[in-house]
Amino acid sequence: MNDEHNDSGLSRRTYLRLSGLASVGMAGLAGCSGGGDGEGTTESGGEETTDAGGEETSGESTEQSGGSRNALELVHWWTAGGEQDALNALLEGFREEYPDVEITNNPAPGGAGSALDTVVKNRVLNQNPPSTFQIWPGKALTQYVEGNVLNDIGDSVWSQEMRDAYRQGVQDLAQPAGNYVAVPLNIHRLNNLFYNTSVVESAGVDPSSISDPGALLEAMKTVDSETDAVPMAHQVQAPWSSVQLWETIFLGYNGADAYQSAIVEGNVADHEDAVRQSLQTLKDYHEYFNDDAGSVSWDQANSKVVNGNAAFIHQGDWAAGQYKAASGFEYESDWNMVPFPGTESMYSVVTDSFVFPKNNPSPEATRKFLSYCGTVDAQERFNPVKGSIPPRTDVPTDPFGPFLQSQIEDFKNSETQPPTIAHGTAVTPDVHGNVDEAFASFNEQWNVDSAYQALANAFPN
Amino acid sequence: MPHSIFRRLVSLGSDGDGDANDANEVRTDGGTATATGEGTTRSDQSDRSLLDSEFVRSLPFWLPPALLMGLFVYGAIGWNAVISLTEWSGFGSPDYGDLDFSMYEQMLGDPTFVVAARNTVVLLVVFTVLSLAVGLLLAILVDRDIRYENTLRTIYLLPMSLSFVVTAIFWAWMYNPEIGLINVVLRGVGLDFLANDWISDPSTKLGAVIFALMWQFSGYCMVVYLAGLRAIPNDQFEAARIDGASTLRMYRRVIIPQLRASTMSAAVVLMVFALKAFDFLFVLFGDTPGPSTDILATMMFREAFSSSNWAYGAAIATVLFLLALVVIGPYLYVQYQRGDL
Repeated sequence: MNDEHNDSGLSRRTYLRLSGLASVGMAGLAGCSGGGDGEGTTESGGEETTDAGGEETSGESTEQSGGSRNALELVHWWTAGGEQDALNALLEGFREEYPDVEITNNPAPGGAGSALDTVVKNRVLNQNPPSTFQIWPGKALTQYVEGNVLNDIGDSVWSQEMRDAYRQGVQDLAQPAGNYVAVPLNIHRLNNLFYNTSVVESAGVDPSSISDPGALLEAMKTVDSETDAVPMAHQVQAPWSSVQLWETIFLGYNGADAYQSAIVEGNVADHEDAVRQSLQTLKDYHEYFNDDAGSVSWDQANSKVVNGNAAFIHQGDWAAGQYKAASGFEYESDWNMVPFPGTESMYSVVTDSFVFPKNNPSPEATRKFLSYCGTVDAQERFNPVKGSIPPRTDVPTDPFGPFLQSQIEDFKNSETQPPTIAHGTAVTPDVHGNVDEAFASFNEQWNVDSAYQALANAFPN
Repeated sequence: MPHSIFRRLVSLGSDGDGDANDANEVRTDGGTATATGEGTTRSDQSDRSLLDSEFVRSLPFWLPPALLMGLFVYGAIGWNAVISLTEWSGFGSPDYGDLDFSMYEQMLGDPTFVVAARNTVVLLVVFTVLSLAVGLLLAILVDRDIRYENTLRTIYLLPMSLSFVVTAIFWAWMYNPEIGLINVVLRGVGLDFLANDWISDPSTKLGAVIFALMWQFSGYCMVVYLAGLRAIPNDQFEAARIDGASTLRMYRRVIIPQLRASTMSAAVVLMVFALKAFDFLFVLFGDTPGPSTDILATMMFREAFSSSNWAYGAAIATVLFLLALVVIGPYLYVQYQRGDL
């Protein structure tokens, strides 16, 4: 028995070595075959792309696939209370309009698309995209457009009637490379200054008379000395709130043209003084933030305004949803809003849109859905519930409450509709990531010089 | 016994095969006695050496898992390493024809990477040492035949069973500078000057994260050490006592040196966890925690999934993998030398 063992048996260590070899070999193999696969699918993807690209051929393929693959798979991040209700209202309207289309509702929860981004990118890379997905338009779409993974919907969805109804600033966002690839469904305004009326009154401050971001600092000083409330509620746990406050301060001091040149076109160095000035102002504001800004989320900060523990907050008008939900906290009598000082003629646009990915599992249903999103009916159903305003200017304002009606009025009268960094429309995701890093660092150190350097380096040119 | 039965079955099988071969050969070439004899011995020998070898007989047991692991774990790691050599970003497909180390060069010149790597190492070392120390202390206390031992053990271990998402949110509340328990207690006992904005002050941010992680993992260390302590025979405690060793001296000289194996295995688990302490930071700060707490795992996610710099993300992942190997390597080597592997 022992002899045999020595003759024919392999020692345990040899096994280990062998299996090690085997797995290394497998790793190599997998790497190679993986590479081969990647190329293979790209080729076939290319063919499919050309098929789906042309309008007529995509029609044919729909007929071929018939009703069997007609289900519309919708990926979005609207899972929180009011958002979900808004989406359901939209889908209800869509079902009435197109009863034959089956909908697969596939949410990827996570604020501002943190989870959705990962899911969608993986699926698009694997040539297995959903029928349509929610995404910020504008430069957030850059990679999708450069990667040629979205269909041109200029003819199939963007009818002349739709083009006439959308404001130019919003239409620009829908065509990041010059052709239409997205349908914006809603608009939130970013340059708001919300305030608790009674706190501001007891401090003797009149928000509508504050002329620029510097004057707001003076107002906060007054609030600080006259009341027990925190002058400005804010959160610095994640960088995005500071990014959006900084860009709004920049708009307030320098206007939309300078913003376009410095940020959208990326010439930060040409506007060094202006960038530094707005960073300095943000740094000065930070003295008047709530002490726990680093440990709370934006809605926890916002609830300080509701409770009367804070005077001002700068947020997108999604913050108003929280005021609406709070009992005994009424528009105008308890809270109010002015455009952020210095940005009265602007309507900073934060918008969500849906797109038409190539290799679409249900081209016809997707086209129907996107067309529907561009209609008065869809935007009238969705936006009052979501607390946003419709991008179309011809939607009846009756279903909207008094606050949103005044926002719609502001939107119609706005001279410019600048995009935003913090919500993806002004810069590519790469630059957005760099800016976020710069402000994560600024939130810790409040060092204007290093933040300016980081911003100057954040842009590729 | 099962071994010999298996062996007999195999030899039976090979005999059967041999016979069948015999029959075939006899039929096909008309069959001379010599040919048959030769055929039998040859096939017998090859059957025996092939089927009898432990290697072949063990194949069914290790080959399928080795293939699956090879493909899905090591294959994925290898592919990731290959991607890190490309320039892949956005929605194009990676160009495997042009492989170089440009991503790694970019990494060395990237201050964000340097900061993240430094934080990762600090987190790794401090978190591991602290957790082991606290775990050892708890284990020694629990091991001293106290009342309610099982209850206490469960209480200490319980945090380990919670999801990191839960503990992250829980600690965000604990650290809240206004209403958080830590500052409230500090103020309550008159230590107002110690109260701090723990998770936004850059000088305490990483420390606060490490403390929270330690809270969660020291219970695990305690269990590992407790098992180690229970394995030490009571005689040694008694002998040390009889020799007049104080409690402190007994633990320092007799007991703790025998816990090396427990320390090793707990340390490896902790360190590998520290390398990928992603979820805790992500829940607290999102994908951009800021320079004082950014670790390689969050940076990797940010580069890959927020900015779509796939190749750069893959390069960071490769560095993380190598770090994990550096941690696990010595452990495996020691185990191998001891013959435990």
